[in-house]
Amino acid sequence: MSNTTANPEFSPNLQVFEPHKASLPPLVPYLKEFWKRRAFAIELSRFADKAEYLDSKFGKVWLILNPLLLAMIYFLLVTVLRGGMKSNQGITTLAHILIGLFTFYFAQSCISAGATSITAGGRLILNQAFPRALLPFSSTISAFYQFLPTLPVYIAVVVIGKWVFPSTQIPGFTWSYLWIPFIIACVGITGFGLSLVFATMNVYFRDTNKLLSYFMRIWLYASPVLWLPEMLHGWHRTILFINPLGPVLSSTSNVWIKGINPTPGELVGCIAWALGSLLIGGYFFISRERDFAVRI
Amino acid sequence: MPENLAIRIEDLSIKYKINVDTKRTLKNAVMRASKGEAVRTRTVEAIKHLTMDLPHGSVLGIVGANGAGKSTLMRSIAGILPPTEGRIIVNGKISTLLALGVGFNPALSGRDNIILGGLASGMTREEIESKTDEIAEFADLPDGFIDMPVRTYSSGMYGRVAFSVAVSMKPDILLLDEALSAGDASFKEKSFNKMRELCAEARTIIIVSHALATINDLCDRAIWMNKGTLVQDGKPDAVVEDYLKFLKVGTLPSNYEDM
Ligand SMILES: Nc1ncnc2c1ncn2[C@@H]1O[C@H](COP(=O)(O)OP(=O)(O)OP(=O)(O)O)[C@@H](O)[C@H]1O
Ligand SMILES: [Mg+2]
Repeated sequence: MSNTTANPEFSPNLQVFEPHKASLPPLVPYLKEFWKRRAFAIELSRFADKAEYLDSKFGKVWLILNPLLLAMIYFLLVTVLRGGMKSNQGITTLAHILIGLFTFYFAQSCISAGATSITAGGRLILNQAFPRALLPFSSTISAFYQFLPTLPVYIAVVVIGKWVFPSTQIPGFTWSYLWIPFIIACVGITGFGLSLVFATMNVYFRDTNKLLSYFMRIWLYASPVLWLPEMLHGWHRTILFINPLGPVLSSTSNVWIKGINPTPGELVGCIAWALGSLLIGGYFFISRERDFAVRI
Repeated sequence: MPENLAIRIEDLSIKYKINVDTKRTLKNAVMRASKGEAVRTRTVEAIKHLTMDLPHGSVLGIVGANGAGKSTLMRSIAGILPPTEGRIIVNGKISTLLALGVGFNPALSGRDNIILGGLASGMTREEIESKTDEIAEFADLPDGFIDMPVRTYSSGMYGRVAFSVAVSMKPDILLLDEALSAGDASFKEKSFNKMRELCAEARTIIIVSHALATINDLCDRAIWMNKGTLVQDGKPDAVVEDYLKFLKVGTLPSNYEDM
């Protein structure tokens, strides 16, 4: 090797490709490249939606209608199982299921779309070098934009509910709503982190996303969506915290349904799961992503 | 690395590990593990101990039979495939046109695909948007086709857009893998001119093509690869001639043993 070797860190144009073990590439340049191409992820998510709904005017409507109808079905099931309830309690239950389901679906679509983003990106991955984490990231952005319009739907249901049943306990606007952006960010980051794990697994085992769909269903039943977080007492409450979406979903319920702030325990849980899944998922994904092109 | 080099390849080897067994699924993995069987894999050595220097401003042609490892070499230079052994040093911004269409999404219009391709290769939105018209003009598709979904394109039209995107990136190093095969005579002429223009600006171009006339026409140096090794490196007409001889008779050049 000649003596004039420049350091690739300082000469942006000089790139050295060398063999790697399953270890991380230099992280600073990776994150810089990632940040530099964030517009690509945003555009990709927009175009993916466009491609998907290009021929259907009702695509966007369906995105809202689908969870809304499901929420109604779950509501009926829950009410029937409990043997009916008073009407003002009914609307509370419906609202809880609705916002829980919308939030859960946000995480679910981050994870399931992200899981296939690498295997579905075949051509792009074989023909262009870029930080691969941009593909799951783009799925997370898509999921976020699909989640946003469900919030007005929830609010509309609550407003109508309060008007029809004035005795219901659901609060109107409260200051605790200020926690909502934080909670949504935690859901997005947790979803993104977990999608990195499953996207990597899906490269090695192509049936991961099939298993994932069963797994997500069980996960939904294990989460405080169809039941209330306060139904758990004592050590049973650990169930809430070993579930990556447990703390965010019970915070969601506190803020939206009860109009109170999340408990400190829930906040710690939200942050721990968000950072934990981002770090673990990021390590798992980035340390293996140079292998993807060979395995696709 | 000396300043005048665009690419230096040192003792490069690339191996693909292929699972011989059926599908790579978790189910199969568990089944196999429960029976105590190991995963059967086969290793394909696509590139074997290749060493090469390429100065700035050269136009290199790569010839070789199917499966010789040409596309693999291009992908590793682009930083897509990591080396199994050895290393590659690249000095300059790379633009790739590896196989047709840089992952074009068939449901999107040509224009949307141009924007997406540009962003993926690291351009800013302003840069790529200021260039879309220029790219569309260079591709010269029939009326209004640039705003139609790519699935309605003929393969030549597809190739035109892809090539226009790749050259518009003003790359220091342009990698073209079978990029010119689908264009018609007039576009071929135009793209040849464009490439000569790029050479004049001392940009480096690597062309993989089975159209040997293209190699003869455009390149100032050619290499011939066979089963992952470098057989010959020299003037394009000499390399192409020996390669043609090999295709007819099946003998490698006599000096091959020395290399
Ligand atoms: N994704 C892959 N997985 C496993 N093996 C591969 C893969 N891609 C290529 N190979 C193997 O690597 C070798 C070289 O392939 P490569 O695509 O580089 O050939 P090529 O010279 O481009 O051929 P062609 O002229 O047909 O394009 C071949 O033996 C091929 O089987
Ligand atoms: Mg090839």
